[in-house]
Amino acid sequence: MSQPKEIFVKTHRCVGCLSCTIACAVEHSKSKTLFGAISETPVPKSRVYVQWVEPDGKVPLVCRHCEDAPCMYACISGAISRDENGVVITDTDKCIGCWTCVMVCPYGVIGRHLEEHKAYRCDRCPDREIPACVSACPTGALVYDTVDSFSAKVRNHVSRELLRAERG
Amino acid sequence: MAYTDKILEKSIDPSVHKMLERAEKLNLETVWDRYEAMLPECGFGELGVCCRNCNMGPCRISPFDDQGPKKGVCGATADIIVARNLIRMIAGGAAAHSDHGRDLAHTLLLTAEGKGGGYEIKDEEKLKALAGEYSIETQGRTKEQIALDLARAVYGEFGKQEGFVQFTRRAPEKRVALWKSLGIDPRGIDREIVEIMHRTHIGVDNDPVNLILQGLKASIADGWGGSTIATELSDVLFGTPMPVRSQSNLGVLKQDHVNIIVHGHEPVLSEMIVAASNDPELVGLAEKLGAKGINVAGICCTGNEIIMRHGIPIVGNFLQQELAVITGAVEAMIVDVQCIMPSLGPLSECFHTKFISTSPKAKFPGAIHMEFSEEKAFDIARQIVQAAVENYSLRIPEKVLIPEDKTECMVGFSAEAIVKALGGTLDPLLNAIKSGDIKGIAGVVGCNNPKIKHDHGHVVLVRELIKNNVLVTTTGCNAIACAKSGLMLPEAADQAGDGLKGVCRTLGVPPVLHMGSCVDISRILTLCASVANALGVDISDLPVAGAAPEWMSEKAVSIGAYVVSSGIFTVLGTVPPVLGSKVVTELLTRGANEVVGATFAVEPDPVKGAGLMIAHMDKKRQALGI
Amino acid sequence: MYPGSCFGRKGDNVTEEKSKYIIVGASAAGMAAAHTIRLHDRQGSVTVLSEEPDTPYFRPLIPFVVSGKKRAEDMVLSGCGPYTGRDIFVRTEARVESVNTAEKTVSVQGSGVLAYEKILFATGSRPYIPPEIKGTDTKGVFALRTLAHARNMAKRVKTSDHAVMLGGGLLNLKAAFALLERGLKVTLVVYSPEVLSQLMEPEDAFLIRKAMDTAGLKIKTGCAATHIISEHTGVTGVALDHGGEMSCRMVCIGKGVRPNVEFLNGTNVWIDGGIVTDRYTACSAPDAFAAGDVAVTFKPGSGDRIMTALWTNAVEMGRCAGRNMAGVKTAYSGTLGILNATQVAEEPFVSMGVVHTKDRDFEVYRHATDTTYRKVVFNPQGTRLMGAVFIGDITNAGLYRYVIRGKMPVMHIKRYIMDHTLHYGHVMTGKM
Repeated sequence: MSQPKEIFVKTHRCVGCLSCTIACAVEHSKSKTLFGAISETPVPKSRVYVQWVEPDGKVPLVCRHCEDAPCMYACISGAISRDENGVVITDTDKCIGCWTCVMVCPYGVIGRHLEEHKAYRCDRCPDREIPACVSACPTGALVYDTVDSFSAKVRNHVSRELLRAERG
Repeated sequence: MAYTDKILEKSIDPSVHKMLERAEKLNLETVWDRYEAMLPECGFGELGVCCRNCNMGPCRISPFDDQGPKKGVCGATADIIVARNLIRMIAGGAAAHSDHGRDLAHTLLLTAEGKGGGYEIKDEEKLKALAGEYSIETQGRTKEQIALDLARAVYGEFGKQEGFVQFTRRAPEKRVALWKSLGIDPRGIDREIVEIMHRTHIGVDNDPVNLILQGLKASIADGWGGSTIATELSDVLFGTPMPVRSQSNLGVLKQDHVNIIVHGHEPVLSEMIVAASNDPELVGLAEKLGAKGINVAGICCTGNEIIMRHGIPIVGNFLQQELAVITGAVEAMIVDVQCIMPSLGPLSECFHTKFISTSPKAKFPGAIHMEFSEEKAFDIARQIVQAAVENYSLRIPEKVLIPEDKTECMVGFSAEAIVKALGGTLDPLLNAIKSGDIKGIAGVVGCNNPKIKHDHGHVVLVRELIKNNVLVTTTGCNAIACAKSGLMLPEAADQAGDGLKGVCRTLGVPPVLHMGSCVDISRILTLCASVANALGVDISDLPVAGAAPEWMSEKAVSIGAYVVSSGIFTVLGTVPPVLGSKVVTELLTRGANEVVGATFAVEPDPVKGAGLMIAHMDKKRQALGI
Repeated sequence: MYPGSCFGRKGDNVTEEKSKYIIVGASAAGMAAAHTIRLHDRQGSVTVLSEEPDTPYFRPLIPFVVSGKKRAEDMVLSGCGPYTGRDIFVRTEARVESVNTAEKTVSVQGSGVLAYEKILFATGSRPYIPPEIKGTDTKGVFALRTLAHARNMAKRVKTSDHAVMLGGGLLNLKAAFALLERGLKVTLVVYSPEVLSQLMEPEDAFLIRKAMDTAGLKIKTGCAATHIISEHTGVTGVALDHGGEMSCRMVCIGKGVRPNVEFLNGTNVWIDGGIVTDRYTACSAPDAFAAGDVAVTFKPGSGDRIMTALWTNAVEMGRCAGRNMAGVKTAYSGTLGILNATQVAEEPFVSMGVVHTKDRDFEVYRHATDTTYRKVVFNPQGTRLMGAVFIGDITNAGLYRYVIRGKMPVMHIKRYIMDHTLHYGHVMTGKM
């Protein structure tokens, strides 16, 4: 099996425009269009978050679908499982809204849908080839890639930078 | 009483700390909460590279070389988009100031025609001087006759198509010649603003430098046009300010009085509110309801207008408007235009405070609208004051918490007042500058902005300047910050360097001179022009500099543009949305020096900002050989 | 050889059945261990012995059987979440009577003796019925613990109009809300001054109390039941210590739990309240391990002995035991004694770490609004986060747990903790 792709974050690239959050909410709406999504009830929720760190840090946070996902093991209703692509999924039907997953996720990327009393999270957009947040990011702060390919690119970039620095 | 760091780092003003703690306790939202909720702010907006001028977009340019769009759908580069956005901000600011000026011209016209509902011409001397500038005959004519001609001439400046705006000719000849040669000598006030809107439409002007030049042109029409008109005609109608003592900060609100706050910008309204609050019948009503009297106080530039002319105390600057309501002691917050937070409506509903809007141009959610018109000015003002007085009985004593903080200040330094303080001639000032007792003159102005610790940028920068013998002239929210910090007392000369201290002591004036509201930056321009003319040089040759340490509004962008266009180096405390364009950033911070003899600098640290200004003055002094 | 094929050769000459791994108890710890073993040992036979008649299920869901919101088949554990290991043999109604740790065998009631190579004791706990309450042995008195209990309770609802709940703990609250949903009048009798006294101090609970009042739950604090009044149809009322009586057709006792250790009587397994384990979840007998409510473990900071009755902790411990049993030596990182998230009525809350601070030397910050409450507890020096209670807004609770458990120095992030604005971005940008 080919290595599954993941969403990587290049923090220094984020300009805080929140395009990812809009695209995510739209993708998780019924209409899948912005103009439709904003009038839906309940309001579609974004599963990606952009946090601010003093003085000017902008940090996108999204579920990492951890290898040893604490949320999956902590879930008291068997609602959280991992699919064949390595994506950690919350089954809305099984979720009872006890928020144990919220309590054990250090990344703070599990949302609470208060109207439905269900937890929700990134599902890596199963209907799309590239997750909506990644497609929407205008600066390349979000990258959808395999671990190997992404780290190879990071290595290449770093070595190019080093070379450039050496050559002045 | 110890406050949390979270509160302490929002402001240097103890009254603000107290009210923020109060707000937290009452679970009331303020501008700082909304700012925090807004973070992170969008980087495209911060860089100025977001364009919504046509519906092929919205477009935004990625600031990273290897990723994302580099051109808008029409082909506009970051340089073009940034330039267009910046001058649209100038158009907004110039429109606001100039419309304020237009309202004064309108009031003068009605007054001259005998239709002003209570206004009169208070400064005949100034009326005649202005008439002189317009070559209007004054000999043997009544003040109304002169005023009518002047009002018509000034009114004409807004819709003028050709020629020039008269008050721009106050600038030194060299400066006017420079503007002409650059094609930035404004033809009419409205025209230049309209032309910005035209040029920034899809597919018109796509040369960043050409765009910026038009921005400068419109800004000159503001500073030397609309704003100067606003200042001068206000003086004609309400009197030219002369030094007066008063008090500042939230502590000027009175526990046992009907508190009426006038907030906004144009003195047309506030002058009448002040007059109506002295109506014995209304004072009687207040007393009948258990109050000891009616206490009128101002916020923002309305506050500056009435403190300068009447010594009416000032409650605070821009970031304190919500806090004033949170004292629970305000019967009415009466507003006209500009810098009025729409949050005041819902906030007022948490108290008995009546939030009263008056301008047909500016309505607010949760406000009671009592429309003001110049023809029936006094009658309407009386109704508004009556509504405020009657509201006193609804005040909830348990909800009242007025901070004790208030500071004495000496204000009212119009250019005329300065000359008078100097003994009728500029010579003592010129001599002090030449001798080095005064290193230079700074104009420190501008808003508040929750991005900067409230008043910290203002006060620290000003203190640093006076310490280095720089005479500070100030308007707007900076003026209020300085008043609250005690810098506007003759005693504050102790904080000045020895040279400035001596000058202040001799003249009995503070080292920081309150010159008025934000349109009154025109007074600083006039003063600089007079000094330059007296020395036979251009303004750009003078040891002067400007600063807007906490700016936020479009008006401030226009101000910055006309101050730099006038040849004055200007330091900004918050970053304008231009960094997305190397061309525009380079032009504003370096290239402009070759063009108009002055540049912008951005420096959030007020001490360093003052350092830049002082270094600039030293350079100019050296060039002048003094 | 097919895993497990060595097991179940009944009728052969072999008198003794054998499974490589035997797990006693089929709830959180046991099942987590079983599936973890399977991740590391694909061959060895794994047998889980459960005394309950039902196949393993998510125990915390049983209040939903009372309320009628879920059916037993919706709660089946195997195949859900992380419980997807293959070839795990679960024997129901298989009660372990005794263990021979020297021979490494267990004796199952009614079905002989089983041999093991490695054994896990995950027998959990049972409700504690205080002896000072007289007359509890009658129809209509419940202590909700198993699916069978829940079914019986659900049946009793049909003939009841009023239920009295003894005890203000979380499980009893959940049962109370389930009964409310069924349309019963429900009264909670709590000896403590406030509900949830294990998870927070009385003054922390006001929002939850408000939510319970709004939901229609009747609460009597500061009093206890002395005896259950009954007739042939079962319970008819409860007598209280201050002399009053309440008529009711149903009583639910939620007074805590006791570990199920009796089957180890007479063995050399060290029992001290529960089964004492070392850092690697092993107990004092060879090749024997313990996990879940029955195990005595330690707090991460102090190393103090601790027993918890929490699903989440039991799973973690079970996973750790499973790894050790499969030969992957793994230290158990310990647990916070208090670690709960849930929603009571419309009020979500999280309580973790040190939350009882009255008369103790801690640095405590509280912040209350109309809709939220938080209390954060620092050590006396104010340099480390020890515990937190969040009510109404539980955003980023997991990060606070991470900070508490990791004993991280917090001086440079303390403000964010106090303001409840801490987020993982602070970690990513090197603020902590």
